[in-house]
Parts: sequence; C-alpha cells; structure tokens
Amino acid sequence: MKIRIIILLCTCIGLYILFIGAGKKIPVVQDKDTAYTPIYLEFKIPDGWPKPPTDIFAKNRLTEPGFQLGKKLFYDGRLSKDGNFPCASCHQQFAAFASYEHDFSHGFNNSFTTRNAPPLFNLAWMTKLHWDGGINHIEVQPLSPITAKNEMAEILDSVLYKLKKDTAYPKFFKAAFGSTEINSQRMLKALAQFMGSIVSSNSKYDKVQRGEASFTPGEGNGYNFFKVKCAACHKEPLFTDNSFRNNGMALNAFLQDFGRMRITGNKNDSLKFKVPSLRNIMLTFPYMHDGRYYSIGSAIDHYRTGIITTQPTLDTLLLKRIAISAREKSDLIYFLNTLTDTTLTRSPRFAER
Amino acid sequence: MKNCLLTFPLFFASVFNINHYQNKFTPTEITGTIKITFINTIKGTPVQLDTVTYANPFSEKYTVSKFKYYISHIALAFKDGVFKESDSYHLVDESKPGSLSFSFSATVNTYQSLLFMIGVDSIKNVSGAQTGALDPLNDMFWTWNSGYVMAKMEGHSPQSMVVNNKVEFHIGGFSGKYSVLKKRRLDFPAGMIPDIREGRTTEIIIEADLDKWWQGPHDLKISTNPVCTTPGELAKKMADNYSKMFTIKKVINN
Repeated sequence: MKIRIIILLCTCIGLYILFIGAGKKIPVVQDKDTAYTPIYLEFKIPDGWPKPPTDIFAKNRLTEPGFQLGKKLFYDGRLSKDGNFPCASCHQQFAAFASYEHDFSHGFNNSFTTRNAPPLFNLAWMTKLHWDGGINHIEVQPLSPITAKNEMAEILDSVLYKLKKDTAYPKFFKAAFGSTEINSQRMLKALAQFMGSIVSSNSKYDKVQRGEASFTPGEGNGYNFFKVKCAACHKEPLFTDNSFRNNGMALNAFLQDFGRMRITGNKNDSLKFKVPSLRNIMLTFPYMHDGRYYSIGSAIDHYRTGIITTQPTLDTLLLKRIAISAREKSDLIYFLNTLTDTTLTRSPRFAER
Repeated sequence: MKNCLLTFPLFFASVFNINHYQNKFTPTEITGTIKITFINTIKGTPVQLDTVTYANPFSEKYTVSKFKYYISHIALAFKDGVFKESDSYHLVDESKPGSLSFSFSATVNTYQSLLFMIGVDSIKNVSGAQTGALDPLNDMFWTWNSGYVMAKMEGHSPQSMVVNNKVEFHIGGFSGKYSVLKKRRLDFPAGMIPDIREGRTTEIIIEADLDKWWQGPHDLKISTNPVCTTPGELAKKMADNYSKMFTIKKVINN
C-alpha cells in the first residue's frame, strides 16, 4: 500500500513537472490579506485564436490545486445519487468528453437523457452552454446534470455532505482555496477550472495551420469546400460561431424539443439549437441535438437532401439546402478527419489517473 | 499626581489627533444598527405553513407549504442622500425563523424611506457560482435556465387541477420585457421614523401579505393559473402583484 502511494505521488509530481513546471514561467502572485499564497496558472490561448468573449477565470483564478480538485470531482461518482454517474460517465475523454456512440446518455435508474451529450472542450470561448443555451456561466453548469433526475439525480446538499465526510477532500479544498471549508461555490469553481482548461487545439488541421504538417489532396479539397459551404456557421478556428440556428430537422415527436425557444420564450427561436463545434467530430457521433444521425455521412446528407425547407425559422443559409456532390462529400469527410485531436483524448493531464 | 497632570493633556492630544486623522484621511461615520424583520401574513394574520387553509379573494381555498423571496439592495433614504447596505442579499424564508430578521450597521441619521429590490439583480444572475444567500443550496436557482427564482410560493388547492392539487409559483426572469425584478420604496409614516443613534438598534418591522399575490394590478385565480415555473408574462404579472405586498408595520427606536 505504502509503495503504491509513493508511486502515485511520484507520478503526480512527475506529471506536474512535465505539463506545468517544465519550461513555463508561472507568475507568483501573493494574496496580501491571507497567509494563503496560491500559484496562479496561465490559461494559454492558442496562437492565432480569438480571445474568449469573457474571461471565465477572471474571478476564479486558475491554480494547479484548483484544477486538480476539479478533476477529482469530475471523475467522482459520489456527485451522483447512487455513485454510478460521475460527470465522466457521459463525458468520456476518449470521445473528446462526449458520450461515445450514444444518441442519448444513460442516467440514474436506467433513464435516458433527452439530448445528445455535447463534447467538452474550448468551453472558455462559450458564453452559453447547453444545446438551447440555457446555462449562462460555466460555474453553474454542473448544477444541471447533478440535480437532473434522469442524469446524476442527486441533491446538492447530499453531494456536499459526502465530500465533507471524505478524508481526502478537505485537503484538496484547502490546497485549492486556502481552507478546508467545503461549499457549493468552491466545488463549482473547481469544476469550472478543470472543464474550462480543456482546450482542443492540436489536431492535424491545427498542425497544418502552424506549418507543421500538410493536408493530403483529399483533405485539402475538403478544406476548400468546407470554407465555402460550411464555415459561415462552423467558424474557424473554433469551428462554431456559438450561435443558435434551425438546420431544418423534423421535430422529434416524442421529445417535443423546440430548443432555444424554451429559454427565450420567443417563437422566432423555435427549433433553434446551438451550432456545435466540428472539432473532434469523428469521435462525437451520433450527431445533432438528439443524436438522430449515426454516421457522418448521414449528417452530411441531411444538408444535401434532408433539410425541411418549409420551417418558418429555418436558417436563411439553408433555404436551398447545400449542394454537395459525392466527390465533395468524401473529400469533406477526409477533411473532417483532420479535426480529431488525439493530444486531447490521450492527455494524462485530463485523464482520470 | 504628577502623572495625572501629564496624562490629561496627552489624552486630549491623542483624541484630537485621532479625530483629526480620521476626518482627514478616513472619514469613518458613527453608526448604529438597523434590524429588519419580516412578518409574513395573510391579510394581517401570520402565515401558518401547511396547517391552515386560507381563502383568496376569489374564495378559492389553499394551503401554503413554502414561502420565500429575495430582498436585495436595501437602502435608506434621508433628506439629501441614501445609505446603502453593502453586499445586500437576503433570502426571507418562512420555514426558517432565522431568515426573517437580519441586522446591519447604518450611519446615524433619521431616515425617510426604505428602498429595496425584490429579487436578485441581473448581474448576479450571470456571474457564476455564488455563496451565502445566493448559494444554489437554497433551492432558489434554476438549473435548466440559469437564473434565480426571485420568489417562491408552493401549496395545495382543491381549485388546482394539476397533479396532487398542487399550487406552485417559482417566479423568475431577470432580463427583457418579462423581467420580474421589482424595486420598492416604502416611506416611513409619521410616528414611525427610524432614528439611528450611535450604538443603538432600530428595528423596522415589515409585513408581507401573501394575499396580495392574487390581486392588485392583475386578477390571478388558482383555477386558471395553479402553476408558474418559467419566466414569461404570467410570472411578470405575479411579480406585479406581489411587489405590492410589503408595508411598514412598526419602527422601534431602542
């Protein structure tokens, strides 16, 4: 047992040096009011990327212990009612933190979610979360799955009770926030530090942009097609403009999900959903808010031939559908494959252990 | 004796110096304490949770199981200015006696009106995880559409045709034309003027009459509207009504 702990400790220190300490200047800022002197981490914006619209770490300064606490919470089943559903049960690293191969994710007591779990990366650029944009801040996002009866099905009080009873958590909270106090604000801020730190910026596409790799002819053709026909909504480099649009799918009769309209109460928002990022698209199937298209081919076919052009709120860019030849479709798929970021999906920094 | 003679001038000098210093560099004000107490009633009778059946102005019968609301941005107006409570967020919850009263320091003065907001300002609705009165643990934060429930009333009524005859009002929405945020100004009536004196406590007792939820600007019957749990027109109407439920009942200058 002792040996295992020592090995674990060494691994942690090693990883810390490898991913944080090495070659990076960490500014040391001292809090004058307290003896607690956190070492703040820098949130690095990839070269050439826009600045996030709001700085999610402005009032929740990123620290290594804060990140580590957030990671521990993210992978802890005790955040759910029966212990089976950590955040990571629906947000799997190998699927770019989406639910791999599931249209709807599984929740407490054999229940289904009502929408396809979105992948988690580049959240620092997202001002509204959820397919309908109902969540206005990354810190309050976890309240939704934790308390939803068909997801983690827990109540916040019980989560905090379980964390307080645990022997390790008080130490983690102290390291992250200066005292052993465990409260909902600290828990949510730590989770935001972990989730907000997940950045996907090292796909082949990114390497091509940086001049470190080059596209094959098929990928290059696909990229050129993408820039003309897709990039208006799936805007580079995030591959989404984070807007809400109706892409012309039939209403799911069972779910009766009208998307953004539920949040705004505005009928002009009927059937509008958030434009998802195309980064890691090959890992995040099935596609659309209800996962109705299993393969990337059928998702593309929707834009070629499937769009219902009579819906009053249909996005104006889709009124005539999108003309895509068979050749263009296969090139586009070659290109979409270059958006998979295995650095992210294999990064030990974001992994459970 | 010599010592005494020396001490006196020194004492005066030090007091003078301190005052001088304070006036010049840090204008500290002399304060007393204000204690605000809410009494939740139905037409003047204190609310009894669960056990008593009431009748609204439309003779609809109902019980109350939950009754809570946010009071924020408390300020007291005097002749030529306003004193504001700092970080002023309070959740008044009928089921928690400790939440019905709270105190804060206020500048010595006589005040003419009490100002406050019913609800939580829009900035706090979009600023992430909060603590204290605004902790999501208080069950006043929506998890599907971020924002605070500004006022909550739950109960049962035979006139409600939804499951278990429930009556459920979770009133929220902080932006746009259906914002339910309400600012109130209550003038202290003659004979009830808070006179805040140094080191003393003045208690201001406010009655919140739940009966006002049903009528006021809008007639809202349980039979038509047993449930309101989303922002929108109905929520706005409810807030129009309940914003009128507060009156100053008593001011005690201790």
